[in-house]
Amino acid sequence: MAVFDYAPAIAVLPLAAFALALFGGRYLPKRGAIAGIAATGGSLVLSLWMLVTIALGADPHQQTLYTFVAGADGVASVDLSFGIFIDQLSALMLVIVSLISLLVHVFSLGYMNDEGETGLPRYYAGLGLFTFSMLAFVFSDNLLMSFMFFELVGLCSFLLIGFWFRDDAPSSAAKKAFLVTRFGDYFFLIGVVAVFATFGTTAFVGEESFIAMAEHAMPGSEAAVPGVVSDWLGVVGLSASQWFTVVGLLVLGGVIGKSAQFPLHTWLPDAMEGPTPVSALIHAATMVAAGVYLVARMYGFYALSPTALGIIALVGGFTALFAATMALVKQELKQVLAYSTISQYGYMMLALGGGGYVAAVFHLTTHAAFKALLFLGAGSVIIAMHHNENMWDMGGLKDRMPVTYATFLAGSLALAGVFPFAGFWSKDEVLFETLVHGLGSTGGTLLLLGYAFGLLAVVFTALYTFRMVFLTFHGDARTDTAEDPEPVRWNVKLPLAVLGVLATVVGVINLGAVKKIIGESNLFLHEWLFHGAEGLNGEHYEELLHDFAGYTAAELPGGPLAPAAVSLGLALVGVGLAYRLYGGADPDPHMLKLGSVRTTLMNNYYLDEFQVWLAMSVTAPVARVADTFDQGIVDGVVNGISSVSLLSGDRFREIQTGIVTNYAALLTLGLTLLVLVFALAGGWF
Amino acid sequence: MVQLPVWTAIAPTVILALTVLLLLVVDSINPDEDSGNLLAVMAVIGTVTSIAVTGWYLLAGTGQPPTDPVLLFADAIVVDGMSLFFTALVGSVVVLIVLASYDYLADHPYQAEYYSLVMLAATGMSLMASANSLATAFVSLELASLPSFALVASLKHNRGSVEAGLKYFLIGALSSAVFAFGISLVFAAGGSLGFADVAAAAADTSLPGVLGLGILFVAGGFAYKTASVPFHFWAPDAYEGAPSPISAFLSSASKAAGFVLLFRVFVEAFPQTAVAGTIDWVLAFQVLAVVTMTVGNFAAATQENVKRMLAYSSVGHAGYVLIAVAALTTDANRSFVLGSGMAHLLVYGFMNTGAFLFIALTEYWDVGRTFEDFNGLAKQAPFACAAMTVFLFSLAGLPFGGGFLSKFYLLMASVNGGVLLLAVALVVNSALSLYYYSRVVRAMWLEEPDGTLEIQGYPTGLYAAIAVAAVMTVLLLPAFGPVAEMANAAASAIV
Repeated sequence: MAVFDYAPAIAVLPLAAFALALFGGRYLPKRGAIAGIAATGGSLVLSLWMLVTIALGADPHQQTLYTFVAGADGVASVDLSFGIFIDQLSALMLVIVSLISLLVHVFSLGYMNDEGETGLPRYYAGLGLFTFSMLAFVFSDNLLMSFMFFELVGLCSFLLIGFWFRDDAPSSAAKKAFLVTRFGDYFFLIGVVAVFATFGTTAFVGEESFIAMAEHAMPGSEAAVPGVVSDWLGVVGLSASQWFTVVGLLVLGGVIGKSAQFPLHTWLPDAMEGPTPVSALIHAATMVAAGVYLVARMYGFYALSPTALGIIALVGGFTALFAATMALVKQELKQVLAYSTISQYGYMMLALGGGGYVAAVFHLTTHAAFKALLFLGAGSVIIAMHHNENMWDMGGLKDRMPVTYATFLAGSLALAGVFPFAGFWSKDEVLFETLVHGLGSTGGTLLLLGYAFGLLAVVFTALYTFRMVFLTFHGDARTDTAEDPEPVRWNVKLPLAVLGVLATVVGVINLGAVKKIIGESNLFLHEWLFHGAEGLNGEHYEELLHDFAGYTAAELPGGPLAPAAVSLGLALVGVGLAYRLYGGADPDPHMLKLGSVRTTLMNNYYLDEFQVWLAMSVTAPVARVADTFDQGIVDGVVNGISSVSLLSGDRFREIQTGIVTNYAALLTLGLTLLVLVFALAGGWF
Repeated sequence: MVQLPVWTAIAPTVILALTVLLLLVVDSINPDEDSGNLLAVMAVIGTVTSIAVTGWYLLAGTGQPPTDPVLLFADAIVVDGMSLFFTALVGSVVVLIVLASYDYLADHPYQAEYYSLVMLAATGMSLMASANSLATAFVSLELASLPSFALVASLKHNRGSVEAGLKYFLIGALSSAVFAFGISLVFAAGGSLGFADVAAAAADTSLPGVLGLGILFVAGGFAYKTASVPFHFWAPDAYEGAPSPISAFLSSASKAAGFVLLFRVFVEAFPQTAVAGTIDWVLAFQVLAVVTMTVGNFAAATQENVKRMLAYSSVGHAGYVLIAVAALTTDANRSFVLGSGMAHLLVYGFMNTGAFLFIALTEYWDVGRTFEDFNGLAKQAPFACAAMTVFLFSLAGLPFGGGFLSKFYLLMASVNGGVLLLAVALVVNSALSLYYYSRVVRAMWLEEPDGTLEIQGYPTGLYAAIAVAAVMTVLLLPAFGPVAEMANAAASAIV
């Protein structure tokens, strides 16, 4: 298909923008912003074209672009290559990423250029590289390529979070983000190697892909077990399902780091030190989304392992609740949003673990819209407030910033999960899928626990969201700046408007809660994802979940309506509570009443301290011991050998006295010695 | 095609000898004039002619399978693949030496003597390659040695040079005595001097002890010529004191000639089958090889003087080449083992000559002799330093030149012969050698010059010689396959 010939350009365009901004940004209009907008706009158009092409019935497209290591023919050879894979899932994700990136570029005009920041070419180069990395990650056709771009995404986040590198906080936050995600990526890397070792390939697509081979290797599968897999399982001495669980959990390490799941979520709140548009990009479409997307991409592999799924669900559910509690007490606008991101990605993980593949992708989509909106809205408020982020210094902004208020409200309603905003539909779908699978499956206790966490988190989500809205926009202005905020221009308002509309209506693509009324076939996203590539679509995943993970959906008497009503009710409880506490003209800081609980929450359950303690008191001493070993024993042996060599060299040198009679004597002695030895050995005398 | 008379097989050596005579004639006609130019050109022309004839014989298959070796003068001289290979090697080194000497000797008062002595020594060396009896061996070895003593001492007003010459001469005399004594013992045991006859007589000698002693003493004579332990003591002093082109000559060509004689004598005159009851000389050479490698490299590692370091490294390389006889066990692929040693000598002939010629260049510039004196030299003479880097890394066995492959072949030879100790010693010593070779490279390229050294001129002859040596060293990396094949073929004729 000719259309797909243009697919590589989706990623190459932002790469070109990166190069342009890096090398010529100084001479470009708006310091590279226009080039970035053009490139991401081009990417968006191409991505939409791919999406439409597939929607019109084209087959998913896989193509190897470049093989950088070609294995020898025959025995257990390994090919390492770059390739693209455009199917329903990746096409959707490409659209999301390029759309958010485009809007972030436009917004940056207002947030960065208009504010007179310096170093803009570096900023736009970073955005370009970030977008490129994420797009290439999304259309990767093998796990190794995914890993490479996954790492590149991490690097870009480091560069952008630390954009204001002259201050201490941003550069330290950048380091933290880099190191914490890197910790998870170590496991991912081992996972990639394990996949190579087990299957001899990391391809996602086709009968020869590792996903398909894993399925064939499972006991109970009708296909023959691939030889390479059975050989390897013999080596490790585990059954197929046990080993696949191990490999899946290794890869999951990278996911937990990138998607900021407990316990590797600590980098994300600190990452708020970066420019706000970057936060929007990181949270909505790139960095954090990469983890969840990866699980979705290789869902066929995870679906084989109920243990891995259970862990994913539990981690997700717990993170959703855990992060939501911390968001309750934060005073800074972006901090609240940061914890809400952790919490929302927890929902997506819960969905994936709970067998809700479609629900996870759905929530990923809606979340991208409303979280980007909220961050950009927050950015708008921050511009207005002259970069003061403390919500207690705001208040009453709704009359002075109507566009920002309206769109931010739409985003908040979506985040809180209030009917009929986008977040309601997707969050409900997540909870519903988890519930039915938890009830219907034999080992569903973990899922039900995750469901309980998720349900409880709904109240907290609504509470902290509307606490934020009330404190920021309602009541009386509490400072002079809030009294007279700085106006924002079209380049801030336009992205807000676009996202505001999306956050309101995008739920329409999968109105799961009312599927009895509108009919199963009008769940567009469901239909979309159920018709993917062979073996890589929702329908197949359901079979896998049923056959290998033992997931069965329970039939609820009222259908999806009753659970939807429950979660909506809880959300409204949260909103009501927020109104009671903070809805007045001059709200009190009610959270202070929580006392020591608040202190714990403010300190993020002391997890940062715990991690620092781990590093200082456990890792550092171990490292010191290793260092002592290396310096003392390993280097000691090496140095010892070299000093022995030089010392004996000196001895040899001393033999050479320069006195020729000594030479003659030594020569004769040496010859005599030889003669003696061989005479005795040969028995000459 | 006209069949040349049989005696013309020795023509390469004869041409070298005639060149000597011609040089002397020219000098006696024109003794006072500064005729260095003419003399150098004559020497080069004579040597190149000799190489050309050698090359022609090599290609024409003279004395090589399937035809028999050409035997001359009552079997005293043999011309076969091996002798031609080494004659070509010696000739190539001589060309480089003469080219370099042209500049090095610009103010030297005794140029005619110098060139004729070089050519005379070269004649002796090529004769060594063709020796087929112990008598010829002794005469040709002395023919190569005596001019060398004079050449080492040729800087008559330099005390170092004179002292080196004297030491070289004294040790040489002692060693020659040992060698001659060994020959007499071998003669006593078997009653003959021709290699084939010695071998025949050795098999059923009634005096195994005498024969064994003789063999060890003969080995001592070769150890002297190849600068192997314990006969190596002259080498560092002589190489350091001698004019650098002569150091290059002695450490490359002279060593190679010593080795070819060693190969031939031990493989043809004392085959293991014939002397099995007397002495296991393979074992003796294993000991010598390991000790020589170790002593050479360890001593080289602690030198402060670059030329002396190269002298010791040359001792170390003698140890590597000894692998060719030390790994010559009965199970080995004997032509491969011997051929690897020959191939290494060829590569070594270029890279080691090149390294010493670089020293000649620094002496020409008067930059000093220690590592520190070489600091920052690359800034002023990047080309020469690049060539030196190639030489040194090739000597160390890095894939910058043929030295990488030739050492690798020696390693394979040790494994092939089943003597793992040699392989380990080779690897360990090569690793150590990288340390002191890279010290020079670091000084040249990385260190800042501490003085205000100004290089005076870029001598054409020296540069040309260094360039040729560098090009050959590098070319021997891709072209090592055919060279090794040729060496193996030459070796297969005698094993």
